[in-house]
Amino acid sequence: MNPELNQDLSLFHLIIHASLPVQLVMLLLLGASLLSWWFIFIKLFTLKRALRETDRFEREFWAGGDINVMYKRVSGQRETAGEMERIFAAGFSEFMKLRQQAGLSLNVIIDGTRRAMRATYQRELDNLESHLSFLATVGSVSPYVGLFGTVWGIMIAFLGLSSVAQATLAQVAPGIAEALIATAMGLFAAIPAVVGYNRYTHDIDRLSNRMESFMEEFSNILQRQTSKAA
Amino acid sequence: MNPPADTPFLARPAAPRLAAAAMALGVHAAFVLLLVFGVSWQTREAAPVMVDVWTSLPPSVAVKPPASTPPPPAPRPKPEPVRPLPPEPVVKTPPPPKAPDIALEQKKIEAERLKKQQVAEEKARAEAAKSAQQKQLAEQKKREQQRQVEEDEQVRRMADAEAAQAAQQASQAEARAAASRREAAVASVVGQFRDQISAKVRGNTRLPDNLVGNPEVRCLVRLLPTGEVQSVRVTRSSGNAAYDDAVVRAIEKSSPFPLPEDRDARAQFVPELSFVHRPKP
Repeated sequence: MNPELNQDLSLFHLIIHASLPVQLVMLLLLGASLLSWWFIFIKLFTLKRALRETDRFEREFWAGGDINVMYKRVSGQRETAGEMERIFAAGFSEFMKLRQQAGLSLNVIIDGTRRAMRATYQRELDNLESHLSFLATVGSVSPYVGLFGTVWGIMIAFLGLSSVAQATLAQVAPGIAEALIATAMGLFAAIPAVVGYNRYTHDIDRLSNRMESFMEEFSNILQRQTSKAA
Repeated sequence: MNPPADTPFLARPAAPRLAAAAMALGVHAAFVLLLVFGVSWQTREAAPVMVDVWTSLPPSVAVKPPASTPPPPAPRPKPEPVRPLPPEPVVKTPPPPKAPDIALEQKKIEAERLKKQQVAEEKARAEAAKSAQQKQLAEQKKREQQRQVEEDEQVRRMADAEAAQAAQQASQAEARAAASRREAAVASVVGQFRDQISAKVRGNTRLPDNLVGNPEVRCLVRLLPTGEVQSVRVTRSSGNAAYDDAVVRAIEKSSPFPLPEDRDARAQFVPELSFVHRPKP
């Protein structure tokens, strides 16, 4: 029987016998896929934690406790504090320092406090958004990379076909199959990355809205207390 | 320079990187396993099959004449040992006792001698004839035996042929019986589905107000293999155009028709179905 008809088309066989550029593309895509899944899980845990901490802090803050006590607790656990707690601590410490300096107007004090809070907010947001650009890149580029591998593989398959007298489908079938694996891998890397990117961007947007609202509300509270005291 | 007291919170809780890496690897391993075991990557070519086309069933093996074993050689009768002919009796001619002076006596002796010789010759001839007869008899017996064997063989061959024919007839009868059973089953399925289709169409028919009696409409329905109605044509009108239209609409509305799975039964419906409809069953 014709040996080409009976070729073993197992997955590993196809990958091992692919041409070098296709193999490189596959390796690249495998790496991208692994990394993007890694980031997806890291972000999943980080965002879950951020959401939990934010919920907890908002409940505590609006429960009407003493702000000074809260500030002491937060600055005692600098490393494990949640995002909103950090913004609160940064704003409140700046506010205290500015208030101790004599001769500063209320506007200056509140502006300084807001700047401090905004700086922390930016830093936190940056931390939350880290690696998201990687997911976006994988999501948009890896299908093209896979497609490149496929086109290359099919090209090789058809070049091989040109040197035989009688062209049959069996001579190109393995080449096309191995080439298509590259596209499959590209899609496999891209789909979760895109889903993860969209999902996390949305989650981070909502978190950042909550933080901005908190910043505004907290500055209002500080302004009210200062004008009352003055 | 020492950092100022109000250093922002830069240290963060460490993200669970190892757990995330393990989970990412797990996802990939699961996917690879799914590919390896879930997708049949092997394409096995079916071995070529050689098919003999028979117009009728071949006789079963059991009644096949045993061509391989030659018939037992006819018991050849042992050739009878050729009996040695008895030696010719040597007739001693007694010497003339006396001087042949008496011619008469000599003549007499001579006659006697001749007679004796004749007798002996006769005897020998008889003996030879007897032996020849015996030989012939043995030969005849042998021939008889051979014929017997041949006859037996013929009888047996005839019996074999008869048995083969009987088996063939039996198998044909069985095939006929199976075919008739199948026809009956197909007919019952066809009837069942005809009833189902009628019921469905009837359920979708909106009878016009001016309908009188139980008029019959005959339609030719072209069906797709999926049971979908391709076209409807009224082949015999009921005389009431409104009713005809209502039936055609009902048939179109009843698409797809329920169709039997069975191929033969399905052939009664696809591609054309002659459909008779009455407003009441």
